[in-house]
Amino acid sequence: MNPAVLLLRDWRGGELGVLLSALLLAVSVVVGISAFVNSLQSALVSESLRFLAADRVIRSSQAIPNEWTARAELDGLRVAQTLGFPSMAVTESDKLYLASIMAVSSGYPLRGELLASETPYGEVRSDVGVPKPGETWLAPRLFALLEVKPGDRVWVGDKALVVSGAVRGQPDTASAAFGYGPRLLMNLADIPATGIIQPGSRVTWRLLLAGEAAALDTFTQWVTPLLSQGQRLLGVEDSQPSISRTLDRAQGFLLLAGSLGVVLAAAAIALAARRFSERHTDHVAIMKSLGASRGRIARLYGGSLLMLGAVATALGCALGWALQGLSFKLFAEQLGVQPGPIGLEPYLIGGATALVCLGFFAWPPLQRLAQIPPLRVLRRDIDAGGAQRWVDYALGAISVFGLMWWYSGDLRVTGSVVAGLSLTVGAGYCAAQLLLRGGRVLGSAAGSVWRLALANLQRRGAANALQMVIFAIAIMLMLVLVIIRGALIDQWQAQLPPGSPNHFMLNITADERASLASFLSERGIESQPQFPMTRGRVMAVNGEKLAAADSAQSQRRQREANFTYADSLPEANEIIAGEWWDADTDEAQVSLEEEFAQRVGATVGDLLELRIASESFEARVSSLRESDWQSMKPNFFVIFPRKTLERFPKTFLTSFYLPAEQKAQLNALITAFPTVTIIELDIVIAEIRTIIDRVGQAIELVLAVILLAGALVLIAGVQASVDIRLRESALLRALGAKKSLLLGALLIEFATLGAFAGLLAVLGAEMAAWALQTQALDLTYQASPWLWPWSIFAGVCLIGGLGVLSCRKAVVAPPLVVLREL
Amino acid sequence: MIKTINLQKSVPIAGGVLEILRGISFEIKQGDTAAIVGVSGSGKSTLLGLLAGLDVASGGDVIIDEQSLAALDEDQRAALRAKKVGFVFQSFQLLPALTALENVMLPLELSGNTSALDRATGYLERVGLDHRLNHYPSMLSGGEQQRVAIARAFAARPQILFADEPTGNLDKATGDTVIELLFDLNRSEGTTLVLVTHDERLARRCKQQFVMESGVLEASH
Repeated sequence: MNPAVLLLRDWRGGELGVLLSALLLAVSVVVGISAFVNSLQSALVSESLRFLAADRVIRSSQAIPNEWTARAELDGLRVAQTLGFPSMAVTESDKLYLASIMAVSSGYPLRGELLASETPYGEVRSDVGVPKPGETWLAPRLFALLEVKPGDRVWVGDKALVVSGAVRGQPDTASAAFGYGPRLLMNLADIPATGIIQPGSRVTWRLLLAGEAAALDTFTQWVTPLLSQGQRLLGVEDSQPSISRTLDRAQGFLLLAGSLGVVLAAAAIALAARRFSERHTDHVAIMKSLGASRGRIARLYGGSLLMLGAVATALGCALGWALQGLSFKLFAEQLGVQPGPIGLEPYLIGGATALVCLGFFAWPPLQRLAQIPPLRVLRRDIDAGGAQRWVDYALGAISVFGLMWWYSGDLRVTGSVVAGLSLTVGAGYCAAQLLLRGGRVLGSAAGSVWRLALANLQRRGAANALQMVIFAIAIMLMLVLVIIRGALIDQWQAQLPPGSPNHFMLNITADERASLASFLSERGIESQPQFPMTRGRVMAVNGEKLAAADSAQSQRRQREANFTYADSLPEANEIIAGEWWDADTDEAQVSLEEEFAQRVGATVGDLLELRIASESFEARVSSLRESDWQSMKPNFFVIFPRKTLERFPKTFLTSFYLPAEQKAQLNALITAFPTVTIIELDIVIAEIRTIIDRVGQAIELVLAVILLAGALVLIAGVQASVDIRLRESALLRALGAKKSLLLGALLIEFATLGAFAGLLAVLGAEMAAWALQTQALDLTYQASPWLWPWSIFAGVCLIGGLGVLSCRKAVVAPPLVVLREL
Repeated sequence: MIKTINLQKSVPIAGGVLEILRGISFEIKQGDTAAIVGVSGSGKSTLLGLLAGLDVASGGDVIIDEQSLAALDEDQRAALRAKKVGFVFQSFQLLPALTALENVMLPLELSGNTSALDRATGYLERVGLDHRLNHYPSMLSGGEQQRVAIARAFAARPQILFADEPTGNLDKATGDTVIELLFDLNRSEGTTLVLVTHDERLARRCKQQFVMESGVLEASH
């Protein structure tokens, strides 16, 4: 007989179902989530690269040397160039407006799409190339402001350009803003004819690069030493910092979910293997009585386990691949994201998971089957000793810990989950035993259904306690995920609630404040408070002069920033050192944003020398703040008390929400307040919101998979004790017990186990959720008291329901059939 | 040939040692039939376990074909069983997940026999179950299950067949059929048959009878 025959016969006998399902689930969850995370990551990186319109960008205040372009092409990269600057656009009728000019070479953009239409609000097309030499495309708003139509001429410097279309969308709108005016797009070849660009002009050249990672790295290494002052190499991390933090958290969540999937599947495998080995005890005893040696048995079961592992790994990898494919299909169809490359890593992790689960959870009880004394064929009371021992669980726990760590790549995430698990297992085991003992006292005074049920619970005390702890682990891990998912989604929604400001207004003079506020409120546009703003510079810290702002030598340099004053701590800010001031303080104090403070090398108590225009003054750092830059609310690096800053000349800044359909209101606003600058962030905010929605959906999907894994553990857990319960119930029926008594007793027994498991689970889940939110995922912890009754209720319903369902055979089938089959 | 020399078995219990077998010596020749009878708890099944090498004696020895079992470790005893020993149990001990045919094939497969299928089919025909080859044990009656067990025991062509209460779970008529089958096969295969039984009729059909009482072999015929 060979292992394959054993495996086939076991499969036919229905012995392998749960074990194989558990193994399949372990591998497919790990592969699926890991592949999905990899794919999502690559996809979102390329998505983020759209914001750059390239894979890498060199931004420069001087023209890009021709040899750089030549070298990049030689390295196999695609290149394009852009030049941006603010300049007046003038019409034939002498209408003029300050536009954000962007001149592009052919090939632009290298990533993402340039969208245009023939008329200002006409049909949007993406296959349009770039404006031809001698032509220009204007932002729709600029048509109105300049009072031009397609075919009219517009001058930029000395060059007349024919308006041939409207620019409707650029991938790098946010990162390539040159001044705040509406966009005028033209061909780079027309720039010399404008006569605008002179040495010293304030312009931004951008060399866009795209291609294979290796070629990009080669070029980056070559060009980095050549970068001079005013030149900077930009990568994906520079494109949208607010998205990268969202993605970091989402990825943390997904990997956490995957790790929990591994733990759940390991628990299911341990339970299934235990049952498998129990059901094989007699099998092995008979084979040994028929002359099979220990080695033979070990080889037989070891071999069949390896085959099972191989089959499960292959199927699990395929399922995992399909899972990530399916999830991507959902997103791709809805939102137009293309899956990125997956790599081999997920499959390696999947294989390792199968190996660890089999080696540490399934093998120990099977390996011990070989030790079963053959005398058991004569004496069934001889202990088979096949079940797992504490040392198996300890080794298994360590290996799963290692697997989780490898998988999530984050010790804090792993540690948080392990802390919660330890609490559930440790305190839970003791509590379970106590509660079960207490149950007997209660039971002896109850009616006969209760007496039977609680006596059953008590009689199998140790086994029930173990089963209860495993149920608790499964429920706990599911709860953790539900809590964290809720917290993440809440946080994201809070970050950009509907109606978040999507337009900023700068350069509001003190005279304009009141009229602007009434202008907005008359049109039903809700605006944020107006913040005073003064441009200033940090010159020295504690008397030590900082290096000039354009110095390349020192990390600590003079920093220019927008100063403001405030009576109370602004929204989306948190004091992390020192204290906020009293609103009416006379003292010259200053509160610095944490990273800004680091860059100038200042901390609480330090004396800063500051300069606004030509006037210097001093202020002492009284607090450091952490600002939430994702909030899309006005944030300032440097804040003073009102009395310190009020005397300096200032303008004001505000933000407001303008729905897309009211976009035309901007024209009236600009006409009424021509000196006010408007920054339109609606496109960027929409992009961010889209990405958050996508990630949110991914999280829902993964949560569903994990809940499935949890359900499997519960099924495996219930099945683990089904045989003995079936036998006892069949015996009781043979002795004349009514169906209602048996069903009632079974229901009470499993529901009691479920209630205790739910209680233990919610305890561990709160602990793990606290640790994860405060230590690992950078979220705010909130207790979830509503979860406590729900967890217990879910435990009662799930375990009670599954238990009765699994054992219904004992009540429905004739007792003799049940007894003969066992 | 099977021989015991001063065979002893004791197990530790709370506050002392329980002596189950207190020095048993006898000899059964190749091809003979022997019955071990005695009341419940007299040590019959313990003796059978020791004779078949399923258990280890506390003292004394069992010799099977000049081979001392005391000198063998568990795997060597397993190899000896695979080669020379067959079993029929009171509770049949068929594997529920295997069909009748597969149950009979099991010992043949374990010893690497290449014609396991043919031989198992042949023996199931001999016990009259050729129409039940692909039935699972739960689909067979008690008598049929015991006939499968007998086919399994003889299919491996053992030199010695141990039977532990082979009719203990069967009614008289079925028991009689099983007994006939057992002795017929024994005769035709030339197997040594060692029975443990309560059944007087069954015991009387054996050439030798040993009576166990409180761990001692009281008498032999």
